[in-house]
Amino acid sequence: MKLLIKTSLYYLLFTIPAMLISGYVFYNVITHEVKESNNEFLAKRALVIENYLKEKDTIAINVINKSFEAQVIALSSNFNINLKESVFSDTLIYDKKEKELAENSMITSFVSINSDKYQIKTWRSTLEYSELVQGIFYLLILLLFFLFLITLFINFWISKTIWKPFYATVEAIKKFRTNDNVVILPKKTAIQEFTALNNSLSTMMEKMIADYNNQKKFTENASHEIQTPLAVIKAKIDLLVQSKNMNENDLKLIMSIDDSCSKLIRLNKSLLLLTKIGNNQFLEVSEVSFEKVTANALSLFEEQIINSNLEIKQTIEADFKFKMNPDLCFILINNLLQNAIRHNVKNGFIKIEINENRISISNSGNQTALATNIFERFQKNSTSNQSIGLGLAISNEITAISTLDLKYQFVLNAHSFTISSQ
Amino acid sequence: MKILIVEDEMELQKSMQHYLELENNLITTASTYIEAEFKIADYDYDCILVDITLPHGSGLDLIKVIKSKKSKAGIIIISAKNSFDDKILGLDLGADDYLPKPFYLPELNSRINAVVRRKTFDGNLEINCNEIKIIPNQRAVFVNNFPVVLTIKEYDLLVYFITNKNRVVTKNALVNHLWGDSADGFDNFDFIYNHVKNLRKKLLEKKCSDYLKTIYGIGYNFKTDE
Repeated sequence: MKLLIKTSLYYLLFTIPAMLISGYVFYNVITHEVKESNNEFLAKRALVIENYLKEKDTIAINVINKSFEAQVIALSSNFNINLKESVFSDTLIYDKKEKELAENSMITSFVSINSDKYQIKTWRSTLEYSELVQGIFYLLILLLFFLFLITLFINFWISKTIWKPFYATVEAIKKFRTNDNVVILPKKTAIQEFTALNNSLSTMMEKMIADYNNQKKFTENASHEIQTPLAVIKAKIDLLVQSKNMNENDLKLIMSIDDSCSKLIRLNKSLLLLTKIGNNQFLEVSEVSFEKVTANALSLFEEQIINSNLEIKQTIEADFKFKMNPDLCFILINNLLQNAIRHNVKNGFIKIEINENRISISNSGNQTALATNIFERFQKNSTSNQSIGLGLAISNEITAISTLDLKYQFVLNAHSFTISSQ
Repeated sequence: MKILIVEDEMELQKSMQHYLELENNLITTASTYIEAEFKIADYDYDCILVDITLPHGSGLDLIKVIKSKKSKAGIIIISAKNSFDDKILGLDLGADDYLPKPFYLPELNSRINAVVRRKTFDGNLEINCNEIKIIPNQRAVFVNNFPVVLTIKEYDLLVYFITNKNRVVTKNALVNHLWGDSADGFDNFDFIYNHVKNLRKKLLEKKCSDYLKTIYGIGYNFKTDE
């Protein structure tokens, strides 16, 4: 879940109870205040009516009585009244306008003027509490909604501005390759935490690059240094086999040394090639035709193909042309075709399909799919003595550096390698 | 032939000298750039073998020196770097061939012979070996003046054998000569065996002596002297 959504959800989760509590408080405060002001108002009005009674202003009293806002009732003189007590009460009065019973609060007080006793009832419609609750509820919902919109907006804005360096960092990490040799993280951002993050990451990346380069340098140097003693061994073997006084066993021993030496040389050459590809030393780029390169490689392996009686099925819809280093292209196709021939069965087939943006080379062979780590170095799937386990690693490096895509599939009992432009 | 070997690795230098002397060549050696410069100025050679990485200088600069002398010597770069750039640069400067280390000594010998043939006689030289006659620029082979039709690989094998005659040539060296690096993932010995068998058959058909001796499990020896 996105940080933005998560924070918004938490925000909502905590806002709802806060809203409920504040709604409750709201309600209580309002009803209390309203009641108080109502009572005050009614008490004042009762006092005014009392004054009218004292002044014997019957007109005013009549007006008040007519207005349905108060009622003055003359009581019999023997009616026992408690003059001090004014009673507040709630009552339902029929509202002609609304045509319903409306809640009213009412004050009932008694006055005695000279010997006349009066009961004064005066009332006023109050708020309807259910409506109030509803009102407050709607208000809160509205508030909640607006708050939510505002938080969304703020979060959006935050992620756009404040989190910007963070996303830039993520993007930079995604693009980071040790062999690019560059750390593209900005050292300074507007936010301290992100600056700290970037600095730690930069240190880590620089360390990785340094380690990678050291490793690369080591492989390169080791391979170069090994080359010369290997050349010496090779030359000495050539001289040794010329010797007249060698018996057959001696020669066989020498030959097995020569075989191992040859294998070592191949291995070393492949490692050097890998290093060179990694070092981007194949700079020349031109448009290569995979159709031509494939035809060329096929002619190289003619004898091996005939020897295993392999059927070559070629389907060329269109030539696959691509801008890359021609030497690497040759090595790539050469490797894949060699594999297709070597790991094939007698009377098997090799299927080559080419169209504008891909070439696939499939071959019959072992009936089980190869492991997924075949593109790693020294992953051998065959027991072949000739195999040094670097061919596919080299192919993989070549496709990677040439922005091509190399995939392995095992379909219809055929091992298929597909190179496609991304 | 007079050959100058410029190589700083002493053991390799000695081996090359040893093998090439077996072929009755006159060998001069140099281990540093300065020494090589002196020896180039000193004498005219048929062929100069140049290592690229040398103490006190680069083999590529030596090629410039040789060329400025208007020397007719064939130049073969022998380098451990095996880099395409060096190869192209070297050939552009006027080197005649490029042999990456490590190499087989018979291969080196065969390259030297090819270069010298090309240089000195514009390829118009016949290679004669008793009753066998080869005209390299036509890729034609005659036995007792009767033409023998050979495949490309058989022809290459024959020239290789004759250049390294009376030497033991290993199967590995033959594979390397015929296919180079591009087919090193294969077990090519059977193909070699077939090519040699066919070559021998074709030569014998024309009443050629049976020079090709198989050394079981090792390789072959094209024996012309008994």
